[in-house]
Amino acid sequence: AQTTLDEWAKDPVDPEIRAHVYSLITALGGIGDDGTYSLGDDALLCLKDLRKWLKFGDGQLNRRDVARCMAEANLVKGDLLEILAKISPRAVEDKWRHKLAVATLELLVPLTWPFEIDPVEATVNHHRHGPYIQLAQIGYKRAILQFDRDRTLQTAVKIALPSMAVPLRERTPRDEGIIRIALYFIRNITMLSPPSSAPMDIDEAEVSRSATVDTFQEQDIFQVLLSVASSIGEDFVTQDVIILEILFFLLKGIDAEKLFMEDKKLNSKNANELKDLMQKEKAMLAGYARTAPTRHNRFGTMIWVKRDDEKVTTISGQDVLGKAQASMQKMDQTKKWNKPSRPGKKVDGEQEREEFDLPVALTSTARKHIKTFVEEFLDSSFNPLFLHLRKAIERETERVETRHSRQYFYLVSWFLRAECARQRTMKERAADSKSAAVPTAEDESYGLVAEVMNQETFILLNRFMQKSQDEKAWQDLNAGMKCFTQVLLTVHEMSESALEEDQEIAENIQNRIFYEESTHDRIVMILRSYNGQGFGYLDAVTELSHVFLRILERYAKQNVDLQIRSKKRTRKIKKKQAQTQGAEGEEEGHVSDTEDIQQAQRTVSERKFDFTRFAAKFVNQSSVNTFVAYAKYYAELDTEQLKRVHRFFHRVVFKMELGVLLCRVDILQLFTKMTKGPGSLDKDSAAYKEWDDFVKHFFRQVVKRVQERPELVVEMLFSKIPATMFFLEHGYDREVTVRT
Amino acid sequence: AGGGGDGLGIDEEIIITKKRIPIPKLDDNRLLSDPGIPRLRKISKDRLRFKGKGHEYGDIARMLNMYQLWLDDLYPRAKFADALAMVEKVGHTKRMQMMRKDWIDEGKPRRTTEREEED
Repeated sequence: AQTTLDEWAKDPVDPEIRAHVYSLITALGGIGDDGTYSLGDDALLCLKDLRKWLKFGDGQLNRRDVARCMAEANLVKGDLLEILAKISPRAVEDKWRHKLAVATLELLVPLTWPFEIDPVEATVNHHRHGPYIQLAQIGYKRAILQFDRDRTLQTAVKIALPSMAVPLRERTPRDEGIIRIALYFIRNITMLSPPSSAPMDIDEAEVSRSATVDTFQEQDIFQVLLSVASSIGEDFVTQDVIILEILFFLLKGIDAEKLFMEDKKLNSKNANELKDLMQKEKAMLAGYARTAPTRHNRFGTMIWVKRDDEKVTTISGQDVLGKAQASMQKMDQTKKWNKPSRPGKKVDGEQEREEFDLPVALTSTARKHIKTFVEEFLDSSFNPLFLHLRKAIERETERVETRHSRQYFYLVSWFLRAECARQRTMKERAADSKSAAVPTAEDESYGLVAEVMNQETFILLNRFMQKSQDEKAWQDLNAGMKCFTQVLLTVHEMSESALEEDQEIAENIQNRIFYEESTHDRIVMILRSYNGQGFGYLDAVTELSHVFLRILERYAKQNVDLQIRSKKRTRKIKKKQAQTQGAEGEEEGHVSDTEDIQQAQRTVSERKFDFTRFAAKFVNQSSVNTFVAYAKYYAELDTEQLKRVHRFFHRVVFKMELGVLLCRVDILQLFTKMTKGPGSLDKDSAAYKEWDDFVKHFFRQVVKRVQERPELVVEMLFSKIPATMFFLEHGYDREVTVRT
Repeated sequence: AGGGGDGLGIDEEIIITKKRIPIPKLDDNRLLSDPGIPRLRKISKDRLRFKGKGHEYGDIARMLNMYQLWLDDLYPRAKFADALAMVEKVGHTKRMQMMRKDWIDEGKPRRTTEREEED
């Protein structure tokens, strides 16, 4: 007989498990006489058994065999969804049907639970079944979103409705459980996304964010989310973190600004973006064409580059003929050896899924739906939900896991951004004389987001940023920075509001934020300690320092007598005392030693804030390095981002007069590459002119410096030593003032 | 002592282990050797000519070329950008910092005398 590959391959699943699971699935039911699904006699028991298999077979023995079997047997699409469709019309009234529906959901939730490989618990089976199950889950998501005979998500909610209707105090644990599985089902569907590690053979559009949003709208899931979120603390308590997760996976990566743009404006913006991109591509191709060979590739030109000491270098290719700069570049390009670099740390599955720096595109219908949802959410649910969550995080409640604080701060920044964008469009609409819309005082105030603009949240945020910085949890810190940036921007917009009350509040908040010197120091520290955490992080760091510095500068100008609270170490003074005392007698010295330890604790004092001194802290070699690392992405940065880098370098060279920090060959080379030659910024773009001006001025300064102080030629290779920096900058040593 | 030829070890097999030729490093020794910084100081004095205002890009490009050719002679295997990063790193060693300070101080007295003459 013929043998096939299948027969040769060993079944990865234990045959006994397969037999048991398959017989249960067969007994569940099938297509009946009338062509619809008909339930088996003991369907309820079968469902319970299958759940037991999943729970004990996979959970306790720590394998994934059962889940794999169920995926192979097409259980979800072939049976579970059909069962739900069959019983959904009368699921609530009929007790038996309700039981059956709950049992089906109880099976669906673990099956759609996002697959992850636990580094401690994982057995070889996990790795064997992982890719298959992940793909199968995407298949589940597709089946649920695209199912045409029933609104599965709505059915899930309907099953939980009787339990939700029960007042909080009278709810049984079983009621709570049913609510939980319905919400977790929604979360799982939102969360599942195509794995980057395995190829898929289904259309990605069918499981995309847009498809999810459209389905949510169609099945009224948004209404459910709104009603749960708005009555959090009253009718719902423990569900807050599930709602948080649903929101996070629903909104991450979506551009909040674009969401609130008027359709017309968005269209023109998109058209402009397309135009810009085409222009960029044209400029790029033109750049290549200028240096491309004019004859066929076997034309065989070879040239010599004459060098010192009668040496020559040969280069082949006609593209270098007559162009000195091109030949220098070719000499460098043809080198084979690359400096070995440390391999980047591998991102694990969970982090990948939580990644929020990747932009997500939406279809126009999905955009409309999610916009309506976000508006309603801000109006009704934002304050209660985020207040409740903040308290839960502060109390470190059991249900709050580490990832939740990150999601919390990311969402705070997201919604603040959305609210600001919404206010802006409202103001524009009001300013437009044609429309009749007149903003009410309520529309204009920032009361809708007030719960995250209070001192408690700032304390939590500060603690969170400090903690994640100490623990090197960069993704957490990234979320924290995004949140802080957005808080600053919101306060800034509030201070420019027409309402006097808003201005006053903004003034107060700024007072509080800028009062703590530790906040200032933290921002500087984060900027200085960047070390290869990736582009999204880099973007957040540079934006935060840009925004912080700009707003602080303006604030310090308005409030000349700004006081800050600084924590100073008093150890030094004490140590000196200890030494002098130590000379007198050993015993005394010993005593003051312990005193010294006690005094090492910091004392708090107030002093006047000096912006120039603070700005000086901002400008140093490591912060320059961070911005240089960011500028290296210049080809991918947009106008706003390029502006940010430009402002910083401008501050370094012209405001702080520390151009010597930028006198380094690699930085000069980067600037040359950005403004001249192939691969430079597009000459017609808005940012180019600014950069060209800056680079030209800076280069002139460099030439002058090198002429004046030839020792710079060597120093240009290195980062500067603080001891010699002043001399290099000014040409004379700093006069040391001796304190008396 | 064993008998006869055994003690001489003639019969023992000689194991030849091929040693890898160590890859030359761009370290402070190389940087301080003659083709290193001393040569850079020399050629920069001889060759660096600036055209001044209006030619900023050309001036800097010529300076970059000087560095590139110098590094190509000093450490041919590395690309320009890689070599720059390596040199920068070497600059953090104690020895290099001392040397750098000396080079700068060399320029100082001359400048002060000049200033006195101007006065």
